[in-house]
Amino acid sequence: MRNPTMPRVAITGMGAISPLGVGAEALWQGLREGRSAIGPLRHPDAERLRVKIAAQVPASFDPAANIDERTLPLLDRTSEFALHAAREAIAQSGLDFSRDGLGLRTAVIVGTGVGGETTQDEQSRRLYADNAARVHPLSIVRLMTNASASQISIAWGLRGPTFAVASACASANHAIIQAAQMIRYGLADVAIAGGTEACLTYGALRAWEAMRVLADDTCRPFSVNRRGLVLGEGAGIFVLESMEHAQARGAVILAELAGTGMTADATDIVMPSATGAAAAMTLALADAGLAAQDVDYINAHGTGTLANDVTETKAIRLAFGAHADRLAVSSTKSMHGHALGASGALELVAVLGALRDRVVPPTAHLDQPDPACNLDYVPNVAREMPVRAALSNSFAFGGLNAVLALKRAP
Amino acid sequence: MTLSIAAEDLAMNDTTEQQVFEIIAKQAKIPVETIKPESTLKDLGIASLEAIEVIFDIEEHFNITFPDQQGANFDTDTAQSLVDAVRLGLAAKAAAGEGSK
Repeated sequence: MRNPTMPRVAITGMGAISPLGVGAEALWQGLREGRSAIGPLRHPDAERLRVKIAAQVPASFDPAANIDERTLPLLDRTSEFALHAAREAIAQSGLDFSRDGLGLRTAVIVGTGVGGETTQDEQSRRLYADNAARVHPLSIVRLMTNASASQISIAWGLRGPTFAVASACASANHAIIQAAQMIRYGLADVAIAGGTEACLTYGALRAWEAMRVLADDTCRPFSVNRRGLVLGEGAGIFVLESMEHAQARGAVILAELAGTGMTADATDIVMPSATGAAAAMTLALADAGLAAQDVDYINAHGTGTLANDVTETKAIRLAFGAHADRLAVSSTKSMHGHALGASGALELVAVLGALRDRVVPPTAHLDQPDPACNLDYVPNVAREMPVRAALSNSFAFGGLNAVLALKRAP
Repeated sequence: MTLSIAAEDLAMNDTTEQQVFEIIAKQAKIPVETIKPESTLKDLGIASLEAIEVIFDIEEHFNITFPDQQGANFDTDTAQSLVDAVRLGLAAKAAAGEGSK
């Protein structure tokens, strides 16, 4: 249970680069319209790959649109996404970090599953395939896992605690939780946090193929005809600040990040456990001071694999008891794909949209309900309904669970 | 003539089965004699991630590629179904080889 004397945490800005376009609003509009961004894989090595579909940031995304030409050569695609999303979030928050020493009181914590994979893959190809004599001298600063966090820190002069968090598909949620704790414990007044991922390289795609978890048609969470997950990419970055700080400056508060829950299954490196996931949800509710019946919506991890969907359903029932039947549960991965270390951040955009607009985004491609998945998954069409509080689930390979509990802005 | 081809085929098929069973036995760390055609990988104590390794080892051994299938299904496959899949894969490879001549 959260100590009631600790600061509450407000979210005052959001930004995203996603397969549904540039900007958090483009993502949210796409999701509430039930629009899937899953399409044919665009890749120079597409002919050599068995995977034929993905959810990719549109080719029209122009990194140079908002990043100066001296910074661009320092960036892997992960950092390009993160900087764009951070710019949008910070602009929305209205914060000026140069005033009153705020930069010193601002943390930057960005989750990523693998970091600068594009750089790693390009330079490895030069060495091993092209027998090049040398690799690019900026390879290390591009590919290091903390590059995105550091680039955001440098761009806005943010001098508080700054680092990366890596926990595979839970990276973004773990980063956001870490940022919230910074504010709660008084280590920062403001934190820039979220997740970024861009790892659709030839090597990574082949590795995913070998695991045999990729769908060949589309992503169908909770549908009995599901065929696996669809890889995605993108970034979601948020401005978190203490409620007192936000209210004192009259900021528009998008939602309260009221509670968080983290557990590890400690069982299997890939097979999820219902008890581990349920425990994380229960912890998040308790931390937020929410009873099960206070929650209206859960943005599910919902990967569209048999292992996840059935286990997550059981976990929600374990955590919510009879109230599980009254919850709206949806997987927006059916539309933006599985952006791995960024997925929790893209999904937080969906939750903030749901809380603000009182619209729950649907689970797309759910046309044959799975008898083993017996909750209300809001199939295919968004639903207008009051959303007082919501959970956002992220569960990672490695058995890692990170859950956010959000309340409507006070 | 016909008879000898049939015998050859039989011998090759026996070899295929034997090789597949040996790959499974190695992963499950069990004697190869304990594997029956109807044993599922799950019966043999092979968890899902290990099942994906078995698939990979078989593909590497025979230099074939199994069709895509969601990983979670593999642990319910029988040893016989893997042998059948290998035969299909070898036949497809042979046909592709002839086609390219």
